[in-house]
Amino acid sequence: MQTSFTTEQLADPNVAESEKILRRCVHCGFCTATCPTYVTLGNELDSPRGRIYLIKEMLENGRPADAETVTHIDRCLSCLSCVTTCPSGVDYMHLVDHARAHIENTYRRPLADRLIRSLLAAILPYPARFRAALQLARLGRPLAPVFARVPALAPIAAMLSLAPVRRARTAAVTDPQPVSTPRRGRVAILSGCAQSVLDPGINAATRRLLTRFDVEIVAPRGEGCCGALVHHLGREDEALAFARRNVDAWIGEIEGGGLDAIIITASGCGTTVKDYGHMLRLDPLYADKAARVSALARDITEYLSTLDLPVLESRRLSVAYHSACSLQHGQRITALPKLLLKAAGFTVRDPAEGHLCCGSAGTYNILQPEISAQLKARKVKNIDATKADVVAAGNIGCMTQIATGTAIPVVHTVELLDWAYGGPKPAKLATSGRKDRARPVAAARV
Amino acid sequence: MAEAIQFLVPRDNVLARRLSIISDLADLLPPECLVHEARGLAPFETDAFIAYRRVPLAVALPRTTVQVAAVLKYCHRYDIPVVPRGAGTSLSGGAIPQEDAVVLCLSKMTRIIEIDYANRTATVQAGVTNLSISDAVGTDGFFYAPDPSSQLACTIGGNIGMNSGGAHCLKYGVTTNNLLGVKLVLIDGTVVELGGKHLDAAGYDLLGLVCGSEGQLGVVTEATVRLIAKPEGARPVLFGFDTCDEAGACVADIIAAGIIPVAIEFMDKPAIEICEAFAKAGYPLDVAALLIVEVEGSEAEMDAMLASIVEIAGRHGVRKVRECQSATEAALIWKGRKSAFGATGRIADYICMDGTVPLGKLSYVLGRTAQIVEGFGLRVANVFHAGDGNMHPLILFNANDPVEAAKAEAAGNEILKLCVEAGGCLTGEHGVGIEKRDLMRYQYSDIDLAQQMDVRGAFDEKWLLNPSKVFPLDGRIRAAC
Amino acid sequence: MLIPTSETDAAYIIRNAAGQGKRLAICGGNTRSGLGQVVEAAEVFSARGLSGIVDYDPAEMVMTAKAGTPVAEIEAALARNRQMLAFEPMDHRGIMGTSGEPTIGGAFAANVSGPRRFVAGAARDSLLGIRFVNGRGEAVKAGGRVMKNVTGLDLVKLLAGSFGTLGFLTEVTFRVLPVPPAADTLVVSGLDDETAAKAMATAMSLPVEVSGAAHLPFTVRHRFIGGRLPEGEATVLRIEGLAASVEARAQKLAAVMEAFGPVTRLGAADSATLWRDIRDVAPYADGTSRPLWRVSVAPSAGHQLVAALRLEAGIDAFYDWQGGLVWMRMEADAEAELVRRYIRALGGGHATLVRAPDRIRAATSAFEPQPDAVAALSARIRKTFDPAGIFSPGRMSGRGGAV
Repeated sequence: MQTSFTTEQLADPNVAESEKILRRCVHCGFCTATCPTYVTLGNELDSPRGRIYLIKEMLENGRPADAETVTHIDRCLSCLSCVTTCPSGVDYMHLVDHARAHIENTYRRPLADRLIRSLLAAILPYPARFRAALQLARLGRPLAPVFARVPALAPIAAMLSLAPVRRARTAAVTDPQPVSTPRRGRVAILSGCAQSVLDPGINAATRRLLTRFDVEIVAPRGEGCCGALVHHLGREDEALAFARRNVDAWIGEIEGGGLDAIIITASGCGTTVKDYGHMLRLDPLYADKAARVSALARDITEYLSTLDLPVLESRRLSVAYHSACSLQHGQRITALPKLLLKAAGFTVRDPAEGHLCCGSAGTYNILQPEISAQLKARKVKNIDATKADVVAAGNIGCMTQIATGTAIPVVHTVELLDWAYGGPKPAKLATSGRKDRARPVAAARV
Repeated sequence: MAEAIQFLVPRDNVLARRLSIISDLADLLPPECLVHEARGLAPFETDAFIAYRRVPLAVALPRTTVQVAAVLKYCHRYDIPVVPRGAGTSLSGGAIPQEDAVVLCLSKMTRIIEIDYANRTATVQAGVTNLSISDAVGTDGFFYAPDPSSQLACTIGGNIGMNSGGAHCLKYGVTTNNLLGVKLVLIDGTVVELGGKHLDAAGYDLLGLVCGSEGQLGVVTEATVRLIAKPEGARPVLFGFDTCDEAGACVADIIAAGIIPVAIEFMDKPAIEICEAFAKAGYPLDVAALLIVEVEGSEAEMDAMLASIVEIAGRHGVRKVRECQSATEAALIWKGRKSAFGATGRIADYICMDGTVPLGKLSYVLGRTAQIVEGFGLRVANVFHAGDGNMHPLILFNANDPVEAAKAEAAGNEILKLCVEAGGCLTGEHGVGIEKRDLMRYQYSDIDLAQQMDVRGAFDEKWLLNPSKVFPLDGRIRAAC
Repeated sequence: MLIPTSETDAAYIIRNAAGQGKRLAICGGNTRSGLGQVVEAAEVFSARGLSGIVDYDPAEMVMTAKAGTPVAEIEAALARNRQMLAFEPMDHRGIMGTSGEPTIGGAFAANVSGPRRFVAGAARDSLLGIRFVNGRGEAVKAGGRVMKNVTGLDLVKLLAGSFGTLGFLTEVTFRVLPVPPAADTLVVSGLDDETAAKAMATAMSLPVEVSGAAHLPFTVRHRFIGGRLPEGEATVLRIEGLAASVEARAQKLAAVMEAFGPVTRLGAADSATLWRDIRDVAPYADGTSRPLWRVSVAPSAGHQLVAALRLEAGIDAFYDWQGGLVWMRMEADAEAELVRRYIRALGGGHATLVRAPDRIRAATSAFEPQPDAVAALSARIRKTFDPAGIFSPGRMSGRGGAV
């Protein structure tokens, strides 16, 4: 598509990159059909093509972001379904990243919005703070409907409703240590932020499983939140700070004992870590190191697929596999998790409309509770229709979101694999657990 | 770039009343169903024919037929032009607005109203996408036959507006052959129902007239379409040739032999490379032209038909024949073909032609097309529905270079004139839109056009519906009186 | 009778007629002259003088012929190339008791379509392009000679089925199809109307490409193929294609149909005769002028309509198009009100009185009356073609109508 940027504008490498992305778009409209917000709202402005146009106008004119543009960019889930669909290869991900940063730099949001965003950015990436906040949220749950009635405060209601009813058990401390030699690999596992608080069992299962297959696990010092949460809020500087810190931590390990892979068990984080090379491309001190880190980043299912796990007998348990957007669209990993589950003896079912986001999308379910709730209802309906015994997903955000809508237990893919290959049965699958966990759909609707 | 195609001059009296029109529309529609801020209007300024753009006065996004009728009635009363829009995937600019127009976009009307297997019909709102009809009935063994390449995104309302075709129309016909009924809102807000679950019309075939009328006669809000039982199996087969001539002649001979496969698609080398880069479908990259021939039915049936086709292809020196081995492979082959236009965006901007020619002229027109485009110093990729002679030369250019853009448009016009001279027509399935409007006189005499315009005027005597499209701007006098 | 021999002549005659307000009853071979409202016109204006195949390229599967060319001549030329008119134009002479030669222009002007219509389209779906003279005496071209063509408004569809009220067709270009190398018909015997409707719907949902689905109740069964159909009501299903494929599909279909009733096969020769008999409504080619309705409704509604009417009037009926086309012969009165009321109640459709004694024709609207908005639209359209109102006035609208 035709663009009109001045030479001065194009001197900014970010603008130059966006211009290149925009030039590829031929406005064919295919992306609209698989965009969750367009499918839900039916407005071009809430479609990738509409947003690309809004971004193009905003960047071409070099003007500050305006309320109309921000509204529609904010509604984007960054699920990247459009990127999978786009025949022209429009790199929407980096375009919308650029737009979000531009918005954050040039647009002053209403007070309530600013507060919520600052709060999220200050709490979620830090496990200790997040844990404390969840304690408070549990106390505050009864107030959710009150907040829900005031539009500006709806995100608070959404937040309260999403907080788990029970505290997550702390990870088993008796995880086995690697013993046998020769080891098959040496990996780091991103311990991350929110997931470690919400469901420490996921990484525990990962450690057990890898250890069982003779993979050595190291825990580099100084590693923390991958930066995705603030990145999607447009807080670019904070995101890059997180990225640099993690790059430092892993490069230390790579250059020390060496690493075969950096394993990520939350695909939302995985997409971001795999993008470190791009995010830090303009930082001469970090560009190379970040690219090396990204090249080593693997989703847990990608790494497990290299281990040639034994094929097990069928175990008569049906699994509805929920394909997290960050896995299927962000990292283009679609078949591997299902192949692993099948090899481990599970019967895998594909819910209809698998390409559509569940509405979790990082902090989206907090910031856009209404659309998020509609997407969740649609997702849960499709999942429930599979009549599966359990839902497996590769991303903590989706797991939390879906679990608040369905009576079917929701676990991480790796928890099922760990169980199949000799680990404990996931707690959520305990026989009595299923009905107990049935909870009404979150009161996040306003 | 200097625009070769003119739009109607915006009506000053409408532009002057912009604010009051918006406030009136706001009374007719819920807030989320009206776009009127400048920033929000810009993304509606064009469709998939992006060479031309006009920001509309407002965009209405109705949810119901009642709202559509209210907006039309209002616009009719105050002489405000209306441009209907579905998903905005038109390749001829059918949904490009004008500054004094209200865009009536049916993208919120996405409900499937009824599926009736006993009568093999589906009744849907106009904003339902083409593919979602087939998706809704697929597991029960049915499908909706017309399959434009944009079927993932384009709406059934838009399909009716353009009488859309697709790859599989060779056997199953185009939209008009698969459409049973519509709910149509006339410009004055009157709602009429044409057709239904029964066949043929009680009086004049208004349904047939409305199909392909490019939003000039009314706004379709609901449609009843025919469902067809899915064949037992379907198999696309790739035939690679050393020259486009041989491939073209092979197509003509297949049809001449009385064999009508479900689809015969043609790709030349540039198109093969483009599609392969996106879909990784395994198209052979070392041939000059490729035919995708799809046969369907039982295994025995497909084998029998393929044997005849392979024999004919052999006479034309086919170099590679590859039968598709699995459903996944078949899906990829079609994914590549159907994404061809969009995938072209990876290498260049393009405009897509849509002329149809008699099959016997296919090779000649392909050759002349290459000469014409070369003459302008541009490149061309060909990917099209060969079985019914519906050509899609994609003229590649750089949209940021105004000289090249103008050349591309000029080359396109030459190609379309060539199609008409060869006994064909300007457009096989994309519609006239704004793109081919000024070429209409190459196909029709003034009298032919006057008769069409008179009929158009019988529906909308003020010419408010999509008025810049289809008919040349000059010579509308008789129609207007 | 005026019989021009060229388009120019026709235009001249029409211009003069328009100038004098002289009304013309347009026709081809005049074999359907009893169809529709009685036309009051000064002169019959026939296209039969415009005859002959203009262009036929079998490889392109397209033929152009002058409008007055006899259908028989066209079918003979096609048959020599193993091709056919996919829409199986009905010959009305049997039921109308007329003589003369049906013309190709007449077939299109009346949108005459046979048993294959419900899967392969009507006459209008085969029609690619036309030339006609409008009421101003202008020669107009619409459409073209290629299958896919969306250039401008589709006046071709509008003229098809306009019964000579919009223009005087001079030339038609249409698509033809190869004759299927093999064909056979399955007969499922002994089904009542309702069960037959279910059986036909089931057949149509199978991937066997049924190209004809009719139900011939007990009262009419003996009037087909010289009475050689098996005992009991006959639900008949046609399959066409390559020989091996017809055999395979017939077996597959028979396996499913056996659940409904005993299945027999007719063989190619009887199959061809049967579908011609169905096409031409053989049971009611009875030499009478008893009222005959041609009703188009949703396939599942056909038998319900007949069942409902039977309680109130003496009728005889059979079904084509999977049950959606009902041919009904009335014992006495046309019962137009009743017929049309039930059609509306069953989801809509239309009934055309194809034949009736003159007194009934005069008192009955032959074509389904249209809702006001549609009737007004149709009248405005007609006016654009024929401002002076000289073409077969009243033929489609009945007393006092604008069309």
